[in-house]
Amino acid sequence: MMSSRICKANDVPGNLPVREIAVFLADYASLLSGCGATCIRIEKNARRMAAAFGVGFDITLMPTHVYVSVWGKDMSDTSVIIRKTASCGISFNLNALLSRLSWEVADNHLDFPTAVERFERIRETKPTGKWEVLFLTSFANASFCRLFGGDAVAMLIVFASTLAGYRLKQIMLEDKRDVRLTFLCAAFFSAALSAGGHIFDIGTTPEIALGTSVLYLIPGVPYINAVSDMIDRHYLCAFSRFLDATILTACLSAGLCAGMFILGLKWF
Amino acid sequence: MFSAIAAIGFSSISNTPRRAYLTCALIAAAGHSIRYVLTLPELEGMHIIPASTVAAFAIGVLAVLFASRIKCPAEVCFFPALLPMIPGMYAYRTIEALLSCLYHTQEEAFGHYFYLLTYNGLTSAFIILGMVVGATIPVFLFKKLSFTATR
Repeated sequence: MMSSRICKANDVPGNLPVREIAVFLADYASLLSGCGATCIRIEKNARRMAAAFGVGFDITLMPTHVYVSVWGKDMSDTSVIIRKTASCGISFNLNALLSRLSWEVADNHLDFPTAVERFERIRETKPTGKWEVLFLTSFANASFCRLFGGDAVAMLIVFASTLAGYRLKQIMLEDKRDVRLTFLCAAFFSAALSAGGHIFDIGTTPEIALGTSVLYLIPGVPYINAVSDMIDRHYLCAFSRFLDATILTACLSAGLCAGMFILGLKWF
Repeated sequence: MFSAIAAIGFSSISNTPRRAYLTCALIAAAGHSIRYVLTLPELEGMHIIPASTVAAFAIGVLAVLFASRIKCPAEVCFFPALLPMIPGMYAYRTIEALLSCLYHTQEEAFGHYFYLLTYNGLTSAFIILGMVVGATIPVFLFKKLSFTATR
């Protein structure tokens, strides 16, 4: 375990390399943005670290890129770095680790090389195990079914269809398939499986099983972040996140409709 | 209990740190219970839209208060806690009514399903809007507390 190094007397802000700090802050903001942090958090965290390093700082957050501008105190050295938002997927663990890093830099006066080293280690953090997520999600969706009034049979159907649909989503995303196509296929797969309750007349609440079976796909984090960005007046990012989430919701609805149509469910 | 299980399961999708699971579960259970109690007919039976907003606001406040205990940002706690309140059946009825609209060409039947489509769609949209705004406002109200949780 690495111990925190404290800034030494000769680490005066003026001696810190402006360009390296700009690159570090841009990479930091890009990863934080990619893991699903809100604009206000990205801005606050990066600004906190820039203040600790003793440099001037500004940031522009765009839906797919971050622009970071850093300058020395005497304005003799300035640097602007643009980074594409990291495509690491939503991760609250990364979000928490990166936020903590910013406080360590600000409160413990972590020196610049140590901060970079910590950041690189955080970047290597592994996501939650895929089997753990698969089973927990299936249990969660089955619980959802119960909350909406489904019986034990409906819960079982939802569990099985979520298990299969979510596994398909994992496989397609591992194969780098388009996320919209993935959502459509996973929704179709789950809907088709859970429609078994209707077709074979199993249980007393087959329609609740069918309706719940695709809910694990709802992109909740972008919707919530969109509102947070809107309140903070980051309208471009808010609109982009909202539209992204709406398109994914439309894809899962299309998958559900396709499943219902193909299996010829007739309650019209 | 089921809302707590749902919160833990859905939090795992977003790579939530394991130490946050229990807090998410408790906040989810509290939020769902608040909405359930508010909508009880014996207690004036509040409409589901304001009830969801009030419950989400409570979730937001609890998340901000508990976030610093588990050293996680507040959104880590309130996002999984909000999910069990998603109006899944309203959303499903909206899709079902949409399909029925496309299927029926007669004016009367079409009008009926179009009514179901807009009723369920609007209810579902406003529940989600109320939930998200209700849960986000505490983060901005207690800004200092929210953004020092990981300190």
